[in-house]
Amino acid sequence: MYHELTVWSRGIIMDKEARDVSSCVASAARSLGYHAENVSDYIDDPDRTNCLVRRYARFGDAPIVDRFVYENPHPDWVVLVEETIIKAVDFLRGTPERAGVLVINSKRDPEYLLKFLPEQMRARLARFVVVDAVGLAEQRGDSPWMFVRNLSELAFDRMSTEGAEERLAIGLGVAAPLLGALVAATGVLPVDAVAAVVADRDAMLRGAAGHAVIDLTAAAGSGPAAAPGTTAGPGTSATAPATAR
Amino acid sequence: MSVRGTRIPPHLRLPIAGVTPPPTEKEGQRLFPTGNFRFYRPVYRDKTPPCNNACPTGEQIQKYLDFVKHDRFLDGYLTICADNPMPSVTGRVCYHPCETACNRGEHDEPIGIRSVERFLGDYGLALPENPIAGDLPELNGTTVAIVGSGPAGLACAYHLRRRGYPSVIFEALEKPGGMLRAGIPHWHLPEEILDAEIAKLTSLGGIDIRCGVRAGEDISWEELRAYPAAFLALGQDVGRRLPVDGAGSRGVVGALEFLREAGLGRPVTVGRRVLVVGGGNTASDAARSAIRLGGGEAIIVSLESETELLVVPEDLAQAREEGVVLAANTAVVRVNAAKGHVTGAVVCQARLARDGSGTVVPHLVPGTEREVPCDTIMIAIGQVQQLAWLPAHLSDGGVITADEHGRVEGNVFVGGDVMRGPSMVVDALGDGKRAARDIDRVLTAQALAADPEPEIMPYQGLNPAYFRHAPRIPVPLAPPEQRRRSQTAEVTLAYSREQAVAESDRCMSCGVCNGCDNCYIVCPDVSVLRDTRENGHYSIRTTYCKGCLVCVQECPTGALEKVPELDFDEPGDVVRMQTAFAPYEGAHAEQSAFTRQLIEQTIAEYDAARAAPAAPGASAAPGAVTAGGAEG
Repeated sequence: MYHELTVWSRGIIMDKEARDVSSCVASAARSLGYHAENVSDYIDDPDRTNCLVRRYARFGDAPIVDRFVYENPHPDWVVLVEETIIKAVDFLRGTPERAGVLVINSKRDPEYLLKFLPEQMRARLARFVVVDAVGLAEQRGDSPWMFVRNLSELAFDRMSTEGAEERLAIGLGVAAPLLGALVAATGVLPVDAVAAVVADRDAMLRGAAGHAVIDLTAAAGSGPAAAPGTTAGPGTSATAPATAR
Repeated sequence: MSVRGTRIPPHLRLPIAGVTPPPTEKEGQRLFPTGNFRFYRPVYRDKTPPCNNACPTGEQIQKYLDFVKHDRFLDGYLTICADNPMPSVTGRVCYHPCETACNRGEHDEPIGIRSVERFLGDYGLALPENPIAGDLPELNGTTVAIVGSGPAGLACAYHLRRRGYPSVIFEALEKPGGMLRAGIPHWHLPEEILDAEIAKLTSLGGIDIRCGVRAGEDISWEELRAYPAAFLALGQDVGRRLPVDGAGSRGVVGALEFLREAGLGRPVTVGRRVLVVGGGNTASDAARSAIRLGGGEAIIVSLESETELLVVPEDLAQAREEGVVLAANTAVVRVNAAKGHVTGAVVCQARLARDGSGTVVPHLVPGTEREVPCDTIMIAIGQVQQLAWLPAHLSDGGVITADEHGRVEGNVFVGGDVMRGPSMVVDALGDGKRAARDIDRVLTAQALAADPEPEIMPYQGLNPAYFRHAPRIPVPLAPPEQRRRSQTAEVTLAYSREQAVAESDRCMSCGVCNGCDNCYIVCPDVSVLRDTRENGHYSIRTTYCKGCLVCVQECPTGALEKVPELDFDEPGDVVRMQTAFAPYEGAHAEQSAFTRQLIEQTIAEYDAARAAPAAPGASAAPGAVTAGGAEG
């Protein structure tokens, strides 16, 4: 068993959210006895506002060999902290066929979002997960940029994007529901084990319960992603795109 | 540091620096389609400026101010004339709802739009040839009947003419113009200006004005209905009577009747002490005309308090300069007369009140009566119209009833004061324009529909940092002592050309791109283009624009908007970057096939260039330099 998680985000303004997702997955995996690694990104200019940046985690039951390779060569879990990235790059490069789980933070209709994925990208996906993490997160501050933080926190975080110091607890804001949706939709790590390392446990559980999943394995081989049926991911009940709050 | 367990792939050693083309070059922009970064896409979308929206005729005020700013007066004039047939008239008499709505009022002072309009109108009238006549369609022979040659009727005829319809206008008085002539004094609107504007319209051909034809007497409802379509714009010219004792005495006249006689150039006399009853603009006009004619004094007695007055504040200020006295919160209780002629009026304190249906009910304060001596009393407490000649179900209390499109029944439309009650000239002009459009629609079997709700640009949407505070150029006025003596000398004077240009230059162009080049200048990524123009001025290079939104933030007018990138889902919208982000499966430092090819090619070219000069002779190190020398 070996999984690679790549979290796509934007430099500075939502870098912490991405880092929280990857580090919570890695630390939960480690607490469960797996070999796990959380890798910061020094390649994508993480000091530049709004730039696309990535965070990586990987875990498995065998020791990890490529310890000093930043990028995940075969990410089977991919999280987009911000919906627009779906248009940006081929974030599923290296993902094994029909094995990927893509989690997107968006309040849009999953079918609408799926339109932006070309056939060769869909072919790599097993599940397409949409969670309204902004709606499910605990609102703090009034920042127009990063959804649930305010500008003073953001200013502080500019100095800590390289992980030198964390002022805030890990797993707050949109990171929590994103983690919930990811863990529930993948079904590899127990939700409770991950919830134990997430600061905003409630929001994480809200994300675990309130997300929409499109199962693309059913559509395998039958042309363009048909079967728009929303199915439940493992360990979660099927819900409409989460707009619960 | 231990390197145990570390496996650094050999390709990490590949040199890549200096091979990547800079993004300002065309190849760079193709290689780095960074447009896919965007959160938001900047989009040029013009909104409706509040002035345009406030103008009942829908004048494109921002547009003509922009023309004036650039000395393009003819274009400005034609822009006005697309909506308003008589800018020289409205440039003098309009109560400028546009200036009231002007966003600049929140910044410093509103633009003097009316004065610029007057400048353009007079510019157009002074042209040797009527510039509107040039591109009118041929007349189509479907004649529309119009009752009343006031602003509504004339505007309707003009806009019908622009659509190719001839019209015949029935005017009850001996000269055309309606309230423009019979209600507005010459010191406000000179007769020659009105005549010139009407002559400009009739010279277009197809507009037949028949004076001395009173609807209901000289032409019947049935005859009007026989036309393919008709527009009723007969105004309201019957003044209400004052319901007090002694109101029948000699010397008690209707202010409207007084203004009409004076406006038509008939001999009128007023006394030296004139009392004008009413709180509207007719009262103020009548009082000011009375001072000019009688040389005496005039008192306006109004039920309204000074803040409730319907008189436009600037008119009231001018009236006071000329010596008009305002007795606010006062009502006439009784008119005193001797030998049948007015000697004075008993007034008392009062205030305005309305009953449930909105009818004015004076609230008198007993015990405050006092007598004011006077020899003329003018009544300006509202007006109605004689509509007994119409079928009874079509009129109600002196106005003609209509549906929301101003349609009375069949192909008959109504507009102006006879539909809405006493209102502004520009309202009537707007009604005429709207009626012409709707008549065209019913005659061509189209459905009537209201205009879509416009999106109005608020001041908060502008970037005020770009607009230096600049005071409004005051409207020039004739000195009060001169004004008091002449019935024809204009009170309000014109802007000079320089003043008109300078005042237009204050326009903030709310919500409409005026090509200021600011986005073009501030874009840090050379993504605002002027050679391919989406909005007439610029376009956005969407494949490269990163959505930093500097242009949106720095757009002075607010014409640039940010739209969430995911709102765009046209095919071809997605350009995924191939070069950045570990372009091939594996690790970050290896390049995509394309980039690797580029690198190898560049290195080969570099090597070839170095090798070439030495080629004929013997090389110092033969075979050391070979094409594609980089280690794969």
